[in-house]
Amino acid sequence: MKASTKAMWRSAAGAAALLAMALPAMAQDVTTIRVLNWQPGGPDYWAKLVSAFEAANPDVKVELETVPFDRYPSVQGPYITTKSGPDVMENNAGLELFDRRVAYVELPADVKAAGDQLITYAGGCLNYDTAHACYGLPFGYQGNVMYYNKAVLKQAGLDPENPPKTWDEMVAACKAIIAIGKTCLAHGMTGVFPAYWNFPEVAKNYLTADDIKAVMTGDLPWTDPKLVKTLEAMASIGTTRGWINSSSPSISMLPDGADIFQSGNAGFASTIIADAVNWSAFDAALGDANVGAMHWPVLVADAPQATGFSGVESSVFGVSAWSTKQEAAFMFFKFTAATENANLLASIGGGISLNKNVDPTVMPKSQALNQILEIIKTPIVHVGVLLSGQEADALGRGWQEVTLGQMTVADWTAQMQQALEASPSKRK
Amino acid sequence: MIETSSPVDRPRSRPGKRREPGGLLGIALVVPAIVLVVVFKLIPLVRAFILSLYETQGFADPTFAWFRNYQGMLKDPTFWGSFRNAALVFLTLPVWIMLPLLLALLIFQRVPGWKLFRAAYFLPYMIAPVVVGIMFRQILAPDGPLNAMLIGIGLAPFATEWLNGSSSALFSLTAVALWAFFGLGVLTYLSGLSTVSDEVIEAARLDGAGFWTLLVYIIAPLLKSVIGYWTVLCTSSMLIWMFPLIYALTRGGPGKATMLPEYLVFLTTFEFLDRGRGAAIGMALFVFAAAISAFVVRRMYAEGKGRT
Repeated sequence: MKASTKAMWRSAAGAAALLAMALPAMAQDVTTIRVLNWQPGGPDYWAKLVSAFEAANPDVKVELETVPFDRYPSVQGPYITTKSGPDVMENNAGLELFDRRVAYVELPADVKAAGDQLITYAGGCLNYDTAHACYGLPFGYQGNVMYYNKAVLKQAGLDPENPPKTWDEMVAACKAIIAIGKTCLAHGMTGVFPAYWNFPEVAKNYLTADDIKAVMTGDLPWTDPKLVKTLEAMASIGTTRGWINSSSPSISMLPDGADIFQSGNAGFASTIIADAVNWSAFDAALGDANVGAMHWPVLVADAPQATGFSGVESSVFGVSAWSTKQEAAFMFFKFTAATENANLLASIGGGISLNKNVDPTVMPKSQALNQILEIIKTPIVHVGVLLSGQEADALGRGWQEVTLGQMTVADWTAQMQQALEASPSKRK
Repeated sequence: MIETSSPVDRPRSRPGKRREPGGLLGIALVVPAIVLVVVFKLIPLVRAFILSLYETQGFADPTFAWFRNYQGMLKDPTFWGSFRNAALVFLTLPVWIMLPLLLALLIFQRVPGWKLFRAAYFLPYMIAPVVVGIMFRQILAPDGPLNAMLIGIGLAPFATEWLNGSSSALFSLTAVALWAFFGLGVLTYLSGLSTVSDEVIEAARLDGAGFWTLLVYIIAPLLKSVIGYWTVLCTSSMLIWMFPLIYALTRGGPGKATMLPEYLVFLTTFEFLDRGRGAAIGMALFVFAAAISAFVVRRMYAEGKGRT
């Protein structure tokens, strides 16, 4: 008995030793990459995305570091400054990414080629030009639309299948909606968003494609009559026209525009097509049959860009310049650009994929989503993402003060011009 | 005969001077604190000043620009507005000093429920400032509980949009900061009051001193050093510790009504990615806070010297 017990212990010790030797070797075969993100599309979608990626790439493990969107810059900043931290990071396309390009590795040709599956990936490239250096691949599409509640329109005596297409029609619609005690245009979340989302939709009535490029480079001053008219029109929404909820310019934003629309207390809502406050959330709250999506009404009838969709790649993932696991990291976001993730984003994340090959059968059944898929077929550059941090901040704060009656549009214009002149990314 | 001197007879190296017993021990105890101050205060301050001399764009390598950041800063109305707001907040200092003293004296005199008050007043200080900000964003909302209460007790004209007005927003921010901080003052003053002799207070009462006479002519002079200490603490809190509240409550708005220099540093550095300009504003804040703190400390020191 004693001998067999000894033999048993010897075998166990040997097996343990073998396992101890094998474990590091096994671990070396699995590369763990850390991905910093704000989880656009929600935690369920991201759980599925990571699971699908790891199943397709068993030698790579993904560790998510998720930060709320409004805290993201203050978490990412120190990583960039100290040149250490996650292997993959997320940023919004455009200037936000360009300002941080020192933190990213330029995409090699084979990774860039994965962008051919996408409608566009210019937002990950310098100056929105894929011929220039590219630092990331986006996979979702973002942009501004106006949602409408068909039940409220009907209650107000309006045709729910024929929402307003011009500002004059919007004036009449708002009059009818306000008369039944509802908010016409549910508007805003905290911070810069109300102005940030409205600005492109009003500006496209006055700006040409060349003007928009000039905004990007800082060559169009805010004192230009086109931009002054834009600010005046934006201001009128909350002041003379009275279209929006009174909490809109409020600091506390309780309830915010999304709450008001989702509770059935507004005819229209000016938000976005993906991530938070999108068709998916509104369908869940109001019922698919009651939600529609449309272009913002046209202010200037013959403006060439007035009926375009202000679109932008939503978020872009790039590989950190300091990462020692770049190969595995590039595998991750090549996967995010691919069709499998596109289907997950469409079916679970409520997002609009940039991938050209999304399986239409996985798309949720939604009237609003179908309308959005039509709207995004005529994209124009989203002029909002071309603003510097200083300009976006001045736009949001100025809009608050003008709407609260604390400042004139002339002063707002002056502040916008000062913000432009103080922007390091637009200094001449 | 060779004369030798014993250690006792050995002449001292400098007449009238003798080595302090435990001098080395004293140095050893002070050195860690000095090291901490140098590493975590002085060195970052010097580095911030150096950074303020550079122009930065995003996260690209900075370029040396002498004092251009300071020139731009001085031309910026937002910069001046933030310091104007800081000066307005500083004007409420007397309330920050006297309110906790008043409450501490009442507790010290064992008013009914004094144990409950002592605990309750300190509770706000235990709550993280960010949480306080989030709480009061709800409380001060136009349809929030504060306005509901005011309307309920017949004070509807006072039910205003606390966080939306250019004046009321700064007032609300300051009031919330005071609410969060004053409990520490009560505790500080209670500690000071515990050193005041009962006989002094008893004697004053026997001489016919009422509550206010006791506070102004007996307690306040006896607690001068504690008042001085609390004043310096409040000064620094107002000038450099409001950031979590601003972030959670107003984000510097509406517009720039509650923009204070420390929040402007954060905005400029982390949201505008202009680290050089942010450092320059930080240096200006340091000079402003140091000047005011030095003034307050000198007043306290002058009083402590017993000058009349």
